[in-house]
Amino acid sequence: MAFSTTVSQRKHIKRKAPRGFLKRVFKRQKPHLRLETSGDLLVHLNCLLFVHRLAEETRMNAFENKCGVIKKEHVQAAAKVKVRLKSLKSVCNSKEEQRLEVKEHIFENYMMYYFRW
Amino acid sequence: MAEAMADSYNGDSEPTTRTLLRRVLDTADTRTPRRRRSARVGAQKALLETPSSRRLSSPTKMNVRRHSHRVRSIGRLAHVHTSGNVEEQTPRTLLKNILLTAPESSIMRPESVVKPVPTPQVVQSSRRDSSRGSLELQLPELEPPTTLALGLLAPGRRKQRLRLSVFQQGMDQGLPLSQEPRGNASASSLTSSLNLTFATPLQPQSVQRPGLARRPPTRRAVDVGAFLQDLRDTSLALASPGDSLRTPVATLPADTVLEDTQPFSQPLVGRSPSGYHSLTCLSHTEVEDAERAVSLRTQSSGPRLQNHSLYVCPAESPGCWFLLHVRAESVLDQDTPNKYHPGKPAELLAGKAKKVDAHAVSFPNNSSAISGEDGVEPLQDGVDEEAEERMEESLSVSEVMDTTGTQGSVRTEKSKRHREMSEAVEAKEPEGSSGDEDISGRRASPELASSTTEFLQARQPQFLEPALPPSTAVLSSEPLEPLPTRLPPRARTPGPRPRQDPHKTGLSHYVKLFSFYAKMPMEKKALEMVEKCLDKYFQHLCDDLEVFAAHAGRKTVKPEDLELLMRRQGLVNDQVSLHVLVERYLPLEYRQLLIPCAFSGNSVFPAQ
Repeated sequence: MAFSTTVSQRKHIKRKAPRGFLKRVFKRQKPHLRLETSGDLLVHLNCLLFVHRLAEETRMNAFENKCGVIKKEHVQAAAKVKVRLKSLKSVCNSKEEQRLEVKEHIFENYMMYYFRW
Repeated sequence: MAEAMADSYNGDSEPTTRTLLRRVLDTADTRTPRRRRSARVGAQKALLETPSSRRLSSPTKMNVRRHSHRVRSIGRLAHVHTSGNVEEQTPRTLLKNILLTAPESSIMRPESVVKPVPTPQVVQSSRRDSSRGSLELQLPELEPPTTLALGLLAPGRRKQRLRLSVFQQGMDQGLPLSQEPRGNASASSLTSSLNLTFATPLQPQSVQRPGLARRPPTRRAVDVGAFLQDLRDTSLALASPGDSLRTPVATLPADTVLEDTQPFSQPLVGRSPSGYHSLTCLSHTEVEDAERAVSLRTQSSGPRLQNHSLYVCPAESPGCWFLLHVRAESVLDQDTPNKYHPGKPAELLAGKAKKVDAHAVSFPNNSSAISGEDGVEPLQDGVDEEAEERMEESLSVSEVMDTTGTQGSVRTEKSKRHREMSEAVEAKEPEGSSGDEDISGRRASPELASSTTEFLQARQPQFLEPALPPSTAVLSSEPLEPLPTRLPPRARTPGPRPRQDPHKTGLSHYVKLFSFYAKMPMEKKALEMVEKCLDKYFQHLCDDLEVFAAHAGRKTVKPEDLELLMRRQGLVNDQVSLHVLVERYLPLEYRQLLIPCAFSGNSVFPAQ
């Protein structure tokens, strides 16, 4: 088992990573590049974290608006923040700065949420 | 740990076995000085106060212990003398009692925890008096342990404390086992309540989050089954399609939003889109079967339909549309060389199937947000459940195929245009569109293509053309255009189509994760927005990875690039390493593949 590249013991994994889908997406985007075997798992991890953060942000937006249902606008606002932060992160070298920014934003949201309720 | 738990619980809930044990341990130390004092000083008041104080005061260990001691001490007033024995016996006896009375723990425990203080206090005070007064009196109370326990549980924690104290007293005095079970029941109930308190928080969460509730797709299966059955039946009830429409509508209304314009939905656009949308939302798997059945039926029905010759003016009249389709089908059958003669049982079925086909085609159009089409109405009139199901299937297929909706719009436009043109063409369109949709969809996905019948393949050329040009064409109009320009568009459609279906399927995986993490109900539009965000995210991701790999002078993206990416995103930093994230979020199997681990034989996997 140690040397197998596939899951041997129990084939049933919860929350399987769509490895084929990820590979296909990458290939379609960058056909001249190759993705290593374990790379798509890390991509899946990245996606999970991204989705997690996006969902948290969206949830906070929904709470701010005192909505019980997540709407398109909440998602859009969250995505804008995320994209902005991501782009900033990729551009800005100082990670602490970025983190502070994110934290401020999150804190601000929390405060709004807290005071609204 | 036990103490901490006990402390917290003493402050907030009934004492648990652990608290009891702790108390036992504590009482050994503090019994003499405190108990006497507390006992003398109005145990009742203390009892009354302690519960509230416990709740209000911060559960410091000392406070909790004191409170617990006081509570217990009241019960132990009589047993001050027998301190020595208590220490030795109670833990064991407590445990024994717990084991004995484990089943006696009642489900009502959590309620008791929540009960207000006053009632328990009153009860407790009364009980304490009684307990203090005479243990014997309590015996009868204790004897029916379950009932009493339940009753005690309901009032609140105090009572349980009382019971425990009573139990301890009983233990000290060597009361019969009846009390023990009682005390154990309280203790066990406490423990069970504790356990319940642990468990209950989870349940409300799930209950309070209806958004997480999964939409039961059961209806789709039923529709298909019913549809197939209907197809087999020879009854041709063209009227009252509403029933079948309604049922799918209920299930599918939301889904339709996701799918864009479907080809060949033009003719039916005018109809109630909701109904059709629901139809379109049918599962793709069903669509496959339905397609085949439909296609088969349409094929067979073609010649028969001709006999009917119910054709009326195109498109306008509700019934006509339906008939148009019938006629078109017949025409199509003649044209298409494939022979499909599946031998469907009844002409009516074939006719119905055709209608369904038309409807199905039209449904996609409706779903594609093309309003004002008449097709829907006529379909409603003449379509029976079978037809609806068929339409649903085709719609779903079309939906699958037209993720972007361009294709659908094209088809719809074409269908519209063709509608006015000729009936035969129109008839062909719905057939072709539905078939083509299915076919094209199938083609896109290899597995699907293999399953298509000749009919479907024949339809493809017809369908491809309409699909290609992005215009809002009516179903009827489609046949005209696709016929001449079938070949060129054919090459185009396979490209984008395979990209959409599996792409969307993969994205839906993450969309479901999003809805899970959100823990709130979400709208369909929000889910679509999430899909778009994910699309953009993937593009950004690939670009970044390319940059990183190029920076390292490589053409292969390696895990180091991924780590660098996550570092830039702020997910990985000096405090949190990549391995930590892998351990947290990925299943064990993937962790084994990612994190190097040493194995026997001086080997490390995966190799570094």
